[in-house]
Amino acid sequence: MEISVIQAILFGLFACLASMPGMGGTVIGNYTLGRPLVAGLVVGVIMGDIQTGIIVGAAIQIVYIALVTPGGTVSADVRAISYIGIPLSIVAIKGLGLDPGSAQAAQMATALGSAVGTLGTVLFYGTATINLVWQHMGWKAVEKGDFKKLYLVDMGLPWISHFLCSFIPTFIITKMGSNMVDVIKNYLPMDGIAMKTLFTVGSLLPAVGVAILLKQVVTKATDLLTFFFGFTLAACMGVNLIGAAIVGGFFAIIFYNIKMLQIRKPVAAAGDMLDDDDEEEI
Amino acid sequence: MAEKKLSKKALSKSFRNWYYGHLTCFSQEHMQTFGYLCAMLPLVEELYDTEEQKKEAMQTYTAFFNTEPQLGTIIVGITAGLEEARANGTGDGEMINGIRAGLMGPVAGIGDSLIVGTLIPILLGIALGLSGGGSPLGAIFYIVAWNLIITLGMRFLYYKGYELGGKAVEFLVGEQANAIREAVVMLGTVVIGAVAASWINVSTSFQMLNEEGGVIVDLQQTLDGIFPKILSAVTVIFCWWLMSKKKISPTKVMLILVLIALIVVVLGFFDPGLAY
Repeated sequence: MEISVIQAILFGLFACLASMPGMGGTVIGNYTLGRPLVAGLVVGVIMGDIQTGIIVGAAIQIVYIALVTPGGTVSADVRAISYIGIPLSIVAIKGLGLDPGSAQAAQMATALGSAVGTLGTVLFYGTATINLVWQHMGWKAVEKGDFKKLYLVDMGLPWISHFLCSFIPTFIITKMGSNMVDVIKNYLPMDGIAMKTLFTVGSLLPAVGVAILLKQVVTKATDLLTFFFGFTLAACMGVNLIGAAIVGGFFAIIFYNIKMLQIRKPVAAAGDMLDDDDEEEI
Repeated sequence: MAEKKLSKKALSKSFRNWYYGHLTCFSQEHMQTFGYLCAMLPLVEELYDTEEQKKEAMQTYTAFFNTEPQLGTIIVGITAGLEEARANGTGDGEMINGIRAGLMGPVAGIGDSLIVGTLIPILLGIALGLSGGGSPLGAIFYIVAWNLIITLGMRFLYYKGYELGGKAVEFLVGEQANAIREAVVMLGTVVIGAVAASWINVSTSFQMLNEEGGVIVDLQQTLDGIFPKILSAVTVIFCWWLMSKKKISPTKVMLILVLIALIVVVLGFFDPGLAY
């Protein structure tokens, strides 16, 4: 399967919009176009195979279900995962003759997408470094009182950084993608240790994504029980995600009410004034 | 002199600049500072007449700024209110920057756990459930739900911040806000558990065979009898333990998993059974 020049150009453009920090802003860029599931739809439409696009996007999405960038440090780059990793995965799945609906196709996509995402962090640091040049111009403008220039610095000039660090790498790598599949086919047999390891890694990686989230929300060991409550709902009782959200929401309300009772007690003793304030703020 | 009041037009321009531009010109050194300058510019231009005053006001916002940008919208709203007050003679740049710097950290913490750590995973979890078999429905659901919730939410936060000014600080770091946050995080943790059970599939193909080739022990079946999906749960906890107790970075954890995968494949615990 070949990726045409026009398709590669489109991937490059979406990479500019979707990255963190990207030209689509964070709401529409990073958190919408940059999510692998959405990118799966976009790439699927561009490549004319929405079904495979979504399957690949969904598989990779689980690894990056919570891509948190605390203080601007990243462990993976969204533009690389979404607009390099997903097209390459689709090409690989088709080229190797895997059934898109199979677990192996998902594992292949997960392993490939994560590898590309990790290597892609170099693009993130590249973009941020080039932006320093525009910011330098920005400081000069502020000193001179030439404030209108700030818009150009904040929303115009970074396109140049993205042309260099998003558009060009995405264009070249996706265009070369089909050659990669031939190399894999020639040198790495499907029943060899390397490919088996690749598939196994693909099945293990989603655990990292969930663990990153857990690290954020679990402060004491008993919090793990809350996690296992949700796990048990789905694994043993077959509750789906909307169901789990409703049950979780019910317990969250109980928890909130208990917490508020603890807080209100001393307040009520001090006087009713503060109590009224609290209610207004809801 | 009549009291200065920001026009609707200036406020909505300021909001739009922040909504779109808070991270477009990101660098490790200044992060969201330029987005903040662009958000304050329409307000400063309306409130002050002379170039000197404008310069002085803008100088306040050249200080470093970085937070969780969605929830952080409330800080921009608060400073809009404070800047209006300053133009009318109450407060100064130092006070504004004090509040800004004081809120940056807590808001980043709350925003990361509520929005990136809870809202997005819940929406994506539901969306993944709708994507079975390659259906585009899940992706469309996520696009609509996320953009609607967050755009309306950021709008609300901006104007709420503007309205309350300095009083919003109590609203953000008070005990009630904390209780809400903990409750929402609890909901999020339950959903994450369900996501893990629904979408992680770690399984083994290891079987003990008798001499005629019949199966004595099917390891996966035995494990499922103890607790369904136990291998997936163990893998998650193992990764969590490495990251939070051993302080190993996610990238290194991934490399450790590659190593483990290689070992279990060589030992014969995993085999997809494919050929070209």
